[in-house]
Amino acid sequence: MKKTKQMKKILIVEDEKTLCLLYEEELAKEGYSVTTANDADTALEILKKKKFDLIITDIRMPGKNGIDLITKIMGLRKDIPIIINTAYQSYKSDFMTWAADAYVVKSSSLDELKSKIKEFIKK
Amino acid sequence: MSQLRKDVLSGRWIIIASERSKRPDDFRPHQSQVEKRMENKGFCPFCEGNESKTPPEVFSLRKAGTSKDTPGWRVRVVPNKFPALERGTPPPKPNKGLFQSMPGVGVHEVVIETPDHEKELVDLPLPHIREVLFVFQERIQNIEEELHYQYVQVFKNKGKEAGASLSHPHSQIVATPIVPKRIKEELYSAERLFTRSQECFFCRIIKEEGENKERLVYQNSHFCVIAPFASRFPFELVLYPLRHSPHYSSLTSDEFKSLAPALKTVLLKLKSILSDPPYNFIIHQSPNLNLSQKKWPSIENSYHWHMEITPVLTRVAGFELGTGFYINPVPPEAAAGYLRENSHKDRK
Repeated sequence: MKKTKQMKKILIVEDEKTLCLLYEEELAKEGYSVTTANDADTALEILKKKKFDLIITDIRMPGKNGIDLITKIMGLRKDIPIIINTAYQSYKSDFMTWAADAYVVKSSSLDELKSKIKEFIKK
Repeated sequence: MSQLRKDVLSGRWIIIASERSKRPDDFRPHQSQVEKRMENKGFCPFCEGNESKTPPEVFSLRKAGTSKDTPGWRVRVVPNKFPALERGTPPPKPNKGLFQSMPGVGVHEVVIETPDHEKELVDLPLPHIREVLFVFQERIQNIEEELHYQYVQVFKNKGKEAGASLSHPHSQIVATPIVPKRIKEELYSAERLFTRSQECFFCRIIKEEGENKERLVYQNSHFCVIAPFASRFPFELVLYPLRHSPHYSSLTSDEFKSLAPALKTVLLKLKSILSDPPYNFIIHQSPNLNLSQKKWPSIENSYHWHMEITPVLTRVAGFELGTGFYINPVPPEAAAGYLRENSHKDRK
């Protein structure tokens, strides 16, 4: 029997719903299965129930911020690659961001984000 | 009446506001602030066992038989994972004109001072502090081999209010392809004062403060610590090597043996008298000597490396930002007196 290749699963944590839709659409085109959460607490609930190959998170969000979320994820599983995707360069000075594997500053093109996703999902 | 004092080196004026004079107890934090500082987020990328969360180490002091990027280290140096400046080819000289720029070439490394998250630098045994101080020298020498890095700055931010984002003890090294403005000002000024008197300005300060003793906080065979005459901030301190030398890399093993207790003693005094304040320390040294002698011909004689230690107790506000004047509510003589008298027993 022919085995079907499983789609790699990505969790996107982003409070802007329009951006979630854009990422969902663009990454689905690339062959990924995308789940979105609009805040950190929802993301943590989803993570308890479902396994992912990669997490992409914004930092500045209502409630827990992305850095708090990453530290919580580290308590659950240290081996999921995490990409920080924020509009701000300034969070780079916070060494807690080192818990993530990449830091991509939001831009109108998703090329850098897509190439980082490929880099970590291949691993 | 308050007093205006001039820092001869920087040309900066300071207001010593003695009528608002404050005692160390006035700077003690409330319990809630202490608890906030101790906040532990649970995961720390600098802790032993989390080596995979940092870029590969560029230097470490570790237990024999242990491998790079694995547990077993005592002091570990890693490049910044998300740096503002990146190592690279020598940048071209910036064009002259209104809009000068150059590629962001530089080095940014983090020195993780101990695998123990809970211990601060001041709590480490003297041999370990000596190792941290030695690592600074090793990295400075290594970075300066690449001649396009003109200035290497070693600094520590301890505590959130001092700019630290993680409580795990660490310091940082940043190398830039240009000499920063503040350092240039110090170098030009030191050279001007040297030309006038044929004497190192810093050596003269050390001699006079050593004789006067009013602002002297600590002295051993190779180092002294003073509260500067025109201190910008309460309990600001400067650590000087007694032997004239422009650059940190000239430190000998004997001097390291004296530097560790000098630093530990004053940090313990600050910790004790001010209830573990946030602080910054910054090593001021000459730019890469292989490059700087053309620009500052007497640099070997006129400049004297030192370490500035600044507890963060007050906020810089509009007046300071607008004028460059600082208002210091603790005369440095009083600060030195409190620190000298303090036997650095932990006050709870």
